[in-house]
Amino acid sequence: MSLEQPERPGVDIEPLEAVGATEDGLDYDELADLLGDRVLDREEHLNAEGFVIGPDQVQDVLSTLRQEAGFDHLSCVTAQEYEDRYESIYHLKKYTDPTQELSVVVPSPRNDPRNESAEPVFRTADWHEREAYDLVGVDYEGHPDLRRILLPETWQGHPLSKDYDQDKPQIVPLREHANPIQEDHRGEGSDADTMFLNIGPHHPATHGVLHLKATLDGEQVADVESDIGYLHRCEEQMAQQGTYRHQIMPYPDRWDYISAGLLNEWAYARAAEDLADIEVPEYAQVIRTMGAELCRIAAHLLALGTFALDVYGDFTAIFMYTIRDREKVQDILEDLTGQRLMFNYFRLGGVVWDLPEPREEFFQKVRDFLDDVPRRMEEYHDLVTGNEIFQLRCVDTGVLDPETAKQYGATGPVARASGIDYDLRRDDPYGYYPNLDWDVVTRDGCDNYARVLTRMQEVEQSARIIEQCVDLLEDWPEDERTIQANVPRTIKPPEDAEVYRAVEGAKGELGIYIRSDGTQKPARFKIRSPCFSNLQTLPEMSEGDLVADLIAALGSLDIVLGEVDR
Amino acid sequence: MTFVPLAGETPLPDTLVDLLGLGEFGVAGEFLAAFVASAALGTVLLGIVAVSGIWGKRKITAAFTDRIAVNRVGPFGLLIIVADAVRLLSKELIIPDGADRPAYDLAPMIVPFSALLGFAVIPMAPGLQIADPETGLAYLFAVASIASIGLVMGGYASNNKYSFLGGLRAVAQNIAYEIPLVLTAAAVVIFTGTLQLSEIVAQQQEALLTVGGVTINSWFAFVNPFGFVLFLAANLAEVGRNPFDIPEAPTEIVAGYQTEYGSVYFVLFYLGEFLHIFLGGAIVATVFLGGFAAPISALSFIPGIVWFLAKMLSVYLFTQWARSAVPRVRIDQLITIGWKGMLVLSFANLLLTAVIVGVIA
Repeated sequence: MSLEQPERPGVDIEPLEAVGATEDGLDYDELADLLGDRVLDREEHLNAEGFVIGPDQVQDVLSTLRQEAGFDHLSCVTAQEYEDRYESIYHLKKYTDPTQELSVVVPSPRNDPRNESAEPVFRTADWHEREAYDLVGVDYEGHPDLRRILLPETWQGHPLSKDYDQDKPQIVPLREHANPIQEDHRGEGSDADTMFLNIGPHHPATHGVLHLKATLDGEQVADVESDIGYLHRCEEQMAQQGTYRHQIMPYPDRWDYISAGLLNEWAYARAAEDLADIEVPEYAQVIRTMGAELCRIAAHLLALGTFALDVYGDFTAIFMYTIRDREKVQDILEDLTGQRLMFNYFRLGGVVWDLPEPREEFFQKVRDFLDDVPRRMEEYHDLVTGNEIFQLRCVDTGVLDPETAKQYGATGPVARASGIDYDLRRDDPYGYYPNLDWDVVTRDGCDNYARVLTRMQEVEQSARIIEQCVDLLEDWPEDERTIQANVPRTIKPPEDAEVYRAVEGAKGELGIYIRSDGTQKPARFKIRSPCFSNLQTLPEMSEGDLVADLIAALGSLDIVLGEVDR
Repeated sequence: MTFVPLAGETPLPDTLVDLLGLGEFGVAGEFLAAFVASAALGTVLLGIVAVSGIWGKRKITAAFTDRIAVNRVGPFGLLIIVADAVRLLSKELIIPDGADRPAYDLAPMIVPFSALLGFAVIPMAPGLQIADPETGLAYLFAVASIASIGLVMGGYASNNKYSFLGGLRAVAQNIAYEIPLVLTAAAVVIFTGTLQLSEIVAQQQEALLTVGGVTINSWFAFVNPFGFVLFLAANLAEVGRNPFDIPEAPTEIVAGYQTEYGSVYFVLFYLGEFLHIFLGGAIVATVFLGGFAAPISALSFIPGIVWFLAKMLSVYLFTQWARSAVPRVRIDQLITIGWKGMLVLSFANLLLTAVIVGVIA
C-alpha cells in the first residue's frame, strides 16, 4: 500500500547548481546575493556564517538553498530563547562536502514565537521541529503534525524556555492519556480490515523503551509511527548546568551508552575546543583516534549481535559470539580508561591520562585483538551473512533509497549502506584520521543486508586505523608524549560565540551546538543525535512490509534510545 | 456397512495383568493395568522433560553459545530443576480480564495431553508399549495434531493481539507442514504395508547391506534418505523450532500464543512444547531410525529403551542446534516453503517410492 505524500517543493529535484561553492569552501557573499533581501542580517558563527531571515521566509529560503546552492542536508534544528526573542537555527550542510556549512537563523518575537515550518522542504525537520516546539516552545506554522515528541502530551510548559517553572508539579493523570490498549480500530473506514498493535515500549525487539504504534493489515504493516521520549533524561539541560572544563564530559558517555562513549565524548570535545580555541596535541589525537575506533568496533559488534537476535530469535549463538569479541574490546578500553562503559576519558585539550604501563603489554593486547579480527569476521560471514535464510530475510527488505535517506538526514552506516558516500572522519577531518590510511565503506544495496555488511566492513576498517595508531604510539618519542594542551582552569568562551560541530559517531553524525554567554556554562547546548534522524526513516522502510521485516528494519537501523531521547 | 473392529494388542498392560495377577478381574483388571502402565510411562516422560527440558536445554544452548550455564545448584547444576519447578509453580496465576474462559484454561491442557496420547502407541522397547493398534501411525498423527487446537484456543482466548497473531500463525504453519509430514510417513507405509508401529520397527531389523562384517540394518533413514530429510524439516515446523519458530517468534510477537500465560499454565504449555519435540523425536526414531533396535547387531546387548531414548534425544538435540544457529523465516516465506516446496517434494517422494516399490515387488 502506498501513502499519499503531499507535494513538496524541491524534494525530487536534484540540485541544479551549487551557487557559492568555490575551490576552498563557500563564498558567503555569493550566497547572500542569491537570497537577496531575504537575508536581513549576517551573523558569524564559528563553524559557518548565519543568515538571519524573516520567520515567514523559511520554506522559500531553504528550498532556494537546497535547489540552487546544493545544501541537501539539514543536519539539525536548534531552537533557543533569548531575553528578547526566540530563535530557530537550521544547520545546513552538503552530503558531498559537509565542511560547506550554512546556518539559517530565524528569530521570532517573544510574545508570538512562530515561524514557518521547514518540513515541506526537508522531511527531517518534522521531528526536529517537534522537539523544538516541545522543549523550547516555538510554534512552527505549516508543520503537518506539531505535537510534543519527548514529553508526555499533557506536559505543561516548555522546559528550555525562560519562564518555565521547574518546581511546578506536573500532574499527568492516567485518564488524560488515551488508553493505549483501547485504541483498536485505527484505519477504519478504509477497505482494509486493520488491527492496531502497540509494539513496545516493553518489547523484546525495540532495543530499549521505544514504542511503535503499528497498524497491521493481517501481517502487513499498513502504518507505523514511533513514539519516543521514554528515556528522556534532560541531557541538554544538564549539560547547560555544568561547567565546560570538567562537568559536561561525563554526560556524552550516557547518550549512546552501548560502548560508543569515546565517540560521543569526542563530539563534545570537538565543539568545545573549537569554541574555546584549544589546540589538541598530536599525541593525544592519536590516542583519541585509537580509543574512538575501539568504541566503534564494540558498538558495531553489538549492533550485529542484536540484529541477529531480531532475525534469528532469542536463542541464537551469534549474539553471544559478538558479545565475546566485544568483551575483548571492553577489556582494552578498561585498561586505557579505567572504565568499561562510562569512560569519561577525554578532556578538553587532550585525554585524561597516558596509555597504561607497561605500554608493551597494552600494545600486545591490542595487537592480539586486531590479529583475531579477520578470523572472527570470517566466522560471522559464515554464520550470518552467508546463511541463505538470513539472505532471504534481509536482502531487499527495509529498503531505504538514497534520496529518502538524504531527506531524513540519515547518516552513518544507514546512509552509507544506501550508497551515500558520507563519513565525517574523511569529509570533515578531525583527530588523526586525515593522516591515516583507511577507506570509507559504502554499499548500494539500500536494504537490511547492506546495513549489516556495512557495519561488518567498518569493523575491519576500524581495525586498520587502530593498527596504524598502535604503530605510531609505539614509536612516539618519550619526551613528546603530551596528553593535554595547556588549558585554563576555568574556560569562559567569548559572549555570544556559537558553534555547531559534528563527529562521526557509531551511528552517524553526532553534532553539538553550543552558544556561550560569557560564563563558564553554556547558554544553549543542543545535541544532534544520529539515531534520532535515522529512526525517522523507519516508516519509509517498513510500511507495506511484514511485521517481521519491520522488526528487522528497526534492528538494522541500530538505534540506541539513550541517544534518541537524550 | 459392517463395522470391522481394528485388531491390535496392548503389550505393556498385558504384561502387567500377568505380573499382578489381575486376570481374574476381567475388564476391570485390564483397565487398572492400563492405567498403571500409562501413569508409569507418563511419569518417566515427565522426568525426561524435566531433565532435558530444564537442565539439558540450558546446557545444550550454553554449549552452542560459548557459555557454561547452570553449575552451582547441586551437582552439575542439576538441582536447577527443583528450583525452576518451585519458582514456576509458586507464581501467581494471572488471568487477563476478558480472557475467554474456559477456552483459556483448556488450551494449556490440550497441548501436553495430545503429545502424551501419542506416546501410548510408541514401542520404546520390546514389550514396552501401552497399545499397538493396527492403525498406529495414523492415530499418532491424529492425536499429535490436536495440539494445534490448543494453540489457536490459547491465542484466541487470551484477549491479546500478540497471542492472537501467534495462534493464527500456529494454525497456518501446522496445516502447511502436517501434510508433508504425513505424506513422507506414508512413503514408509508403502514399504511396510502396515500402519502398526511394532511391525514398522520389526521390518527395519532386516539387513540392508554388509560392509566389512558390519551389518547395517534397513532403517528407512537409509532406505529413503530423501524422505528422512523431508520429515526432519517438516518436524521442525511441526514442533515450532527454528527456522520455523514463527508461532512464538519472541522478537516479533513477544511470545505468540503463550504471551498471556503464566505460572502453572505456562508450565503446561512449556511441557507440551517439549513433549511434542520428544514425540517428534519418537516418531522419527520409530519410523526412520529402527525404533529401539541397536544400529549394528554387535551392540544389541544394550537395552532397547536406551537406544530408543538416545535416538529420541538426538532429534531433540537437532532441534536445539537449529534454534541456536538458523535464522527464522518470515511467515510468507514459511507458507511458500510449505505449500510450494515441501508439499511438492513430499508428493514426489511418495510417487517415487510407490513406483520403486511397485517395480521391486
